[in-house]
Amino acid sequence: MLTRSLKIGIVCPYGWDTPGGVQNHVRDLAEYLIEAGHDISVLAPVIDESKIPSYVTSAGKPIAIPYNGAVARVLFGPIAFARVRQWIAQGNFDLLHLHEPAIPSISLLACWAAEGPMVGTFHAAAKRQKAIFAIGPILEPVIEKLSARIAVSEAARATLTEHLETDAVVIPNGIYADRYRDGIPQAQWQGNTLGFIGRFEEPRKGLSILVDALPIISRFAPDVRVFVAGPGEQKDVIESIDPQLRSRFTFLGRISEQEKANFLASISIYVAPNTGGESFGIILAEALAGGATVVASDIPAFDSLLNHGEFGELFESESSTDLAKRVIDLLRDDDRRISLGKAGKIHAQQFDWKVVADQIFSIYEMSLVGGEKVRLASDNRSWSRFIGRDHRGDE
Amino acid sequence: MKIFVAAGLLILIFIWYLTFLATRLDRLHHRVETSWANLDGLLQRRAAIALEIARSEIADPASAMLLTAAAYQARESRIENRSASESGLSGALGLLLADGQSSERPAEIVLLRELSELTDKIRIAISLHVDAVTRTHLVRRKFIVRLFRLAGTAPLPITYEFETDVL
Repeated sequence: MLTRSLKIGIVCPYGWDTPGGVQNHVRDLAEYLIEAGHDISVLAPVIDESKIPSYVTSAGKPIAIPYNGAVARVLFGPIAFARVRQWIAQGNFDLLHLHEPAIPSISLLACWAAEGPMVGTFHAAAKRQKAIFAIGPILEPVIEKLSARIAVSEAARATLTEHLETDAVVIPNGIYADRYRDGIPQAQWQGNTLGFIGRFEEPRKGLSILVDALPIISRFAPDVRVFVAGPGEQKDVIESIDPQLRSRFTFLGRISEQEKANFLASISIYVAPNTGGESFGIILAEALAGGATVVASDIPAFDSLLNHGEFGELFESESSTDLAKRVIDLLRDDDRRISLGKAGKIHAQQFDWKVVADQIFSIYEMSLVGGEKVRLASDNRSWSRFIGRDHRGDE
Repeated sequence: MKIFVAAGLLILIFIWYLTFLATRLDRLHHRVETSWANLDGLLQRRAAIALEIARSEIADPASAMLLTAAAYQARESRIENRSASESGLSGALGLLLADGQSSERPAEIVLLRELSELTDKIRIAISLHVDAVTRTHLVRRKFIVRLFRLAGTAPLPITYEFETDVL
């Protein structure tokens, strides 16, 4: 076991102050490792430099580009590359942990610029894409430098194997399970209630599927109510709801962690109708940890997170009738609903940061066996030697 | 004249590419060494724990003998036979632990837990090592690498046929 304190550099490819799963993961991991006594520096694109924690170094302002069906705030270019090199040269790191090194952003630049113990985590799960196949040969020599690869889910691992022909160790994303463990049920959210948390404006979060399913659900459960938590503009969504059912919906806006715990402990069913673009499903893991019974679409990430339906009900993705059917069945069968919730809560403990960070750390240890430090790569050692010899020859 | 400049430039670019490939290969060989050192260390630790288990009261005399022999073999075998003898040790450990051995003595519980943690790590170490080796093989198989002998005198890394299901 390594007991000494390590100097670890973590690179986050997306804008630090924009919401997103990768950013949350990097933040939680960095804070967990700092708590454990390690020296952590995070390099990330930052929009507002006055509001970043002390362990974050800004690599510049992110650029918004469309990627994988959403807008990604990434950063590249010569100035960013120079900053990345500078950060690596001054950091004196024992190890680099690069997130999403296959995406055109600073993680890729760091992987290009550095040499030594490096670990990469792959978050995205994408369908087979010609574009990625085309850039594969360019990425290969870069990705190859990583001493270990981590994928956050089986779906992400399959993406990696398919596109870049390389294997990865699956380590799930982490959650702070104990924050959600002891939620206090609140009367206003109890009863025949359905819950949804997330940026509901984004089509891929699938709120519209729940909206479409509600007329059927309300026929069988007339007192059903839906609570939607999360940031976003409600007007358009409310207009899309059948006027007779509008009163069933309550928008709570952004809620605190404590409220989230209480919310998850109160509602009858947590609905995750996402239609895709999800690689792990952190919110689903949190819902399970909060003891909620879950009904989720059968996209690969959720299917593997719920172990093919063992720890939550799956419905056919994008089918509001199937969703309605599953919800009604569960609302009618209290015993099954409660036992699913209990099983899910136990299952979710394996996603706790204590477990996950330990697994990540043992990967760090394995990469450190060589006893080297991170340094700037001389991508052409032999070339420089060649030139050097040339010079000597001239003299 | 122009043609000479162009040809010279092309040759320079080509040499640059060759050195790039050589660096890449060098790095890969290094990665194989590191991943092997890691795996080797973990396997040595496992053999040590196996010996400790053999001496403890978890093992009956017959299994103790089997385990001791397997552990020594794993420790002393040469690199080419390593994977076979490690699989032998896995088998011996599996045989002993498959009976649903449960121990009440704290020292032995610690020993068994240590073994299971180590097994998890070894599983990961194997996949890291196998990945490094296959990558190296892939690059070394390139025509241009073989033609210019870019691998130099570095020996071809040995593929280890670790049977992960035995672990």
